[in-house]
Amino acid sequence: MLNLTLWATESGQIIAAGSSDDDSGGLGLVFLLSGFVFYSAIYFRYRNTDKRHGHESETEATLVNMQEHDEFVKARKGLSNRRMSGANNTAVRGASNKAATGIMSKFKLM
Amino acid sequence: MPMDAVEPDTPPPATTDDAPRVINTDDGAKDGLAKCARCGATEISLNVATGNLRCGFCRFEWSTDNAIEAFNLNGDIATLTGLLVGSGSSDIVPSTEEILTFKCSACGAEVVIDTNTSTQARCHWCRNTLSMNQQVPNGAVPDMILPFKVEKSTAVEKIAHFVGKRKFFAHPTFRAEFNAENVMGVYLPYMVVDINAHAKLSGQGEHQTRSYTVKVGDSTQQRYDADLYDVAREFDIHVNDLTVESSSDRLDQNTAVNSNNIINTIMPFDVENSVRYDSNYLAGFTSERRDSNLDQLEPLAHTQAEDITRHRVNDTLKFYDRGVRWAAEEVEVRGQRWVSAYLPVWLYSYQQRKSNGKTFLHYVAVNARTGETMGSIPLHQSKLLLVSGVVQLVGTVIGLVLVAVGV
Repeated sequence: MLNLTLWATESGQIIAAGSSDDDSGGLGLVFLLSGFVFYSAIYFRYRNTDKRHGHESETEATLVNMQEHDEFVKARKGLSNRRMSGANNTAVRGASNKAATGIMSKFKLM
Repeated sequence: MPMDAVEPDTPPPATTDDAPRVINTDDGAKDGLAKCARCGATEISLNVATGNLRCGFCRFEWSTDNAIEAFNLNGDIATLTGLLVGSGSSDIVPSTEEILTFKCSACGAEVVIDTNTSTQARCHWCRNTLSMNQQVPNGAVPDMILPFKVEKSTAVEKIAHFVGKRKFFAHPTFRAEFNAENVMGVYLPYMVVDINAHAKLSGQGEHQTRSYTVKVGDSTQQRYDADLYDVAREFDIHVNDLTVESSSDRLDQNTAVNSNNIINTIMPFDVENSVRYDSNYLAGFTSERRDSNLDQLEPLAHTQAEDITRHRVNDTLKFYDRGVRWAAEEVEVRGQRWVSAYLPVWLYSYQQRKSNGKTFLHYVAVNARTGETMGSIPLHQSKLLLVSGVVQLVGTVIGLVLVAVGV
């Protein structure tokens, strides 16, 4: 059942992401998945399997002696994704609850 | 692993080998009778309202030293080198028995303590309470303890409120059997880690310069232009009070088979307010023994430190609004300080018996310092599936109409 829930959530996310690129029929497709979306929303609200301690943001840390290097490489045109391909600057690898990182990584933007 | 012992108030000198330096956190601790300084009674327990220990007879109150100050644990992380550990965080000796026998220092009787569940026992002859405060290498006595601050009545209220908002789809057996008064106060074992590291990250980042729509066939699609940059960052990072579970049971957070993630979610704790370990803080509560060694926990703590590094450096990457793809990440740990701690949790647990004969343990947990509450409620699957089916039916009709009109 959990796999079904994860699948439904991820499908909903893909549909939602698709609708931002192509407006036609997007809202209709979301309604076509409404049962799965409803099930997932209630499942997560009651079971909270997606929850974990956000060690990456909730732990106190200070950066010192920062050295920055930024160099322009090239301009890229006509990209279809809103997010950089392979961007990993918000990745979380040290969470014991792997289900949470699997789901949340799909929602995270910078 | 071999360890070199040092006095708690003097910073241990760096050693040339890899042996960890040890802060003796049970210096002066004694097993047996811990008496009230005013009347001599051993009926001592935590007064949650004040955070002090209180004598059950004369009501005299006192507190134990703050552990961070007593053991100089708030020293500059930038100067940390090598491995520094509290003596209560040392390796668990596999052969050490969990059942310990004490000689009562009041009447001489022999009293047994099961360190799996408690570090206190009452002498069955003279009725005095005996406490175990000296560290034995079985993980039962940590370096420090964070006393309960949230009272039971508040925890009951929070759990009842949490469950009350999730009643409609809750399993009917759970609804019938739920009683928030069954909450238990538990001290769970954690490791608190400070890390001094040097980080080097390099990769590429993208900054969006334009967003526009293009026509593809009969529909429109979104397109983006972006500038690509080589990005590199090099810095020192000081991680303070990273907290990891040190019970192997709690570390297992496979949500398909347990709800340990619920307990993990209520972190963080204000560990800077921890006090020197004293078994009297445990009176009226239960506790769980640490069963994981530093070697087992170090890889997890270092990976979490890398996560913290990656996320904290994002403050310097706001220009790259499309993200950064790190090709190389190097986090070199130069110094680390490990201390074991008991942290307080109000825990409501419910064993669900499923129709297939299996059981699943649900938790509703309250952080007994911050009051943060999280829980897992057994679902009435057939009811949820039925309502989801109705929602799907209505959604399908509306969806087909919207697709037909192209919305």
